[in-house]
Amino acid sequence: MDATTSSKFSDVDEYGFKRGQNFDYNNYSKFMDGYLKTLTRRRMKWEAILQQNPDLSQVDAKLKRYIRKGIPGPYRPDVWMKISGAAAEQKRAPNLYRSLLNTETFDKEISDSISIDLPRTFPDNIHFDTKKQRLYNILIAYAHHNRDVGYCQGLNYIAGLLLIVTEDEEKSFWLLKHIVENIVPQYHSHNMANLLRDLAVFRELVIRRFPAVNRHVDNLGLPYPVIASKWFICIFAEVLPVETVLRIWDCVFAEGYKIVFRAALAMFVTHKTSILACDDIAALATHFRDIMIQDSIVTDCHGFIESMFALRLKRSELESLRKVAVLNPA
Amino acid sequence: MATTPRSGGAGSGTAQRPNGTSQNKSCQFKLVLLGESAVGKSSLVLRFVKGQFHEYQESTIGAAFLTQTICIEDTVVKFEIWDTAGQERYHSLAPMYYRGAQAAIVVYDIQNQDSFQRAKTWVKELHKQASPNIVIALAGNKADLSNIRVVEFDEAKQYAEENGLLFMETSAKTGMNVNDIFLAIAKKLPKNDGANNQGGSIRPNGNETNRPTNNCCK
Repeated sequence: MDATTSSKFSDVDEYGFKRGQNFDYNNYSKFMDGYLKTLTRRRMKWEAILQQNPDLSQVDAKLKRYIRKGIPGPYRPDVWMKISGAAAEQKRAPNLYRSLLNTETFDKEISDSISIDLPRTFPDNIHFDTKKQRLYNILIAYAHHNRDVGYCQGLNYIAGLLLIVTEDEEKSFWLLKHIVENIVPQYHSHNMANLLRDLAVFRELVIRRFPAVNRHVDNLGLPYPVIASKWFICIFAEVLPVETVLRIWDCVFAEGYKIVFRAALAMFVTHKTSILACDDIAALATHFRDIMIQDSIVTDCHGFIESMFALRLKRSELESLRKVAVLNPA
Repeated sequence: MATTPRSGGAGSGTAQRPNGTSQNKSCQFKLVLLGESAVGKSSLVLRFVKGQFHEYQESTIGAAFLTQTICIEDTVVKFEIWDTAGQERYHSLAPMYYRGAQAAIVVYDIQNQDSFQRAKTWVKELHKQASPNIVIALAGNKADLSNIRVVEFDEAKQYAEENGLLFMETSAKTGMNVNDIFLAIAKKLPKNDGANNQGGSIRPNGNETNRPTNNCCK
């Protein structure tokens, strides 16, 4: 029997993404039984928070704790805008987005490369066809706003997911700008310098935390850029299940780049046993590319976020590793 | 169980057939796909490895790794395929994948003149930077759309001949020449003497391990 027919869940998730053929409805059902109650409780708490502190300009310890437990869907667009500082930026340049779109002519090369990627952005999302023009607007506006970056493949997934969540072109533009310029600067620029640096930092963290896993990955010969480039470039968009990505992004907007490393390390810590069980490079590559990005561990967004914060990771360690990695990138 | 030496180059070994009646040599080769964005690199790999085609294949971010095994005569050839991102800025990652590769497929789109020029640039870079004995194939992809081509078959063929490349027009969509181009590469690669170990390994520690390989010859 088809798994969906026995499940109360549709084969399309609430964001319009088709669930994979191997989606584990039973496990998901078990997880959601508890999680739905949590979501309702959390929504009531957030209502109270937003009444007390509507501008959210200060992320204090309590707010941070709440954000780590997940921002309720309906509040996400505004909360993301406020906690990231994107709303304040927008206030300083309220006409920027529209004026970028009113440019007489766009750079043809940039426009073409964005257009090529539109039909292949979330082709399995049932609502996304109607959003393609808006996605084009966001990407072309940003490419002309920031010529150092222009259009980098991968930004289509970030902007696309922002658009799905916010349903607002302009907010998506400001949040995209915040990610590219403040969270992960120089990942998407022409030389991708900081991406290579941070992949080297990430490898070093794995060596320090899980030396046996690193040895295994090295022995089988799968380079870290193959494993993790997309994780870092897309901040897990189009990598992990949507709800898990959004929970990660909640924390990214509140706490910054360190969260990206936490999430990447959590991928290793939660899958340590299965990574070690892969006995050749092909199995390992398949594991990273197909299996561990959609299994029950990452679908349980709550458990995954908890494992991210169970890790010991200090900003000072990242910063000192970055200094070394600049000299010796991945 | 058959074993394949993994030294970052091809080696020869023996592979027992399932019925145990005869033996095959087995080799393993590292192959990299290069070419401009959206010419169909990932689609060629998907067609070759899984026999599938997606009209809207997602763009490759970083790189992907896949394997496929084919047989020619009495030899089992396993390809380790490194599929790279095409966008220019991902170029800085490319040497990591073509270093130590014994074969490369440089792909262009027959509807796109720029992608053909880009392919030529890749060929030059491979001649300069990759292993000296690397086998390079040029693939003019999207041959199913040959009625709206801008890159002429003869032009590409002549360029390939002048530069010592294998050349085929392919279609990941219909499957045309996809297996053939990998097969042609496999035929051209040295399989007996393990002499093609030059170029080193992209494995960080380059160690050797034996491991089982599937036997596809029945």
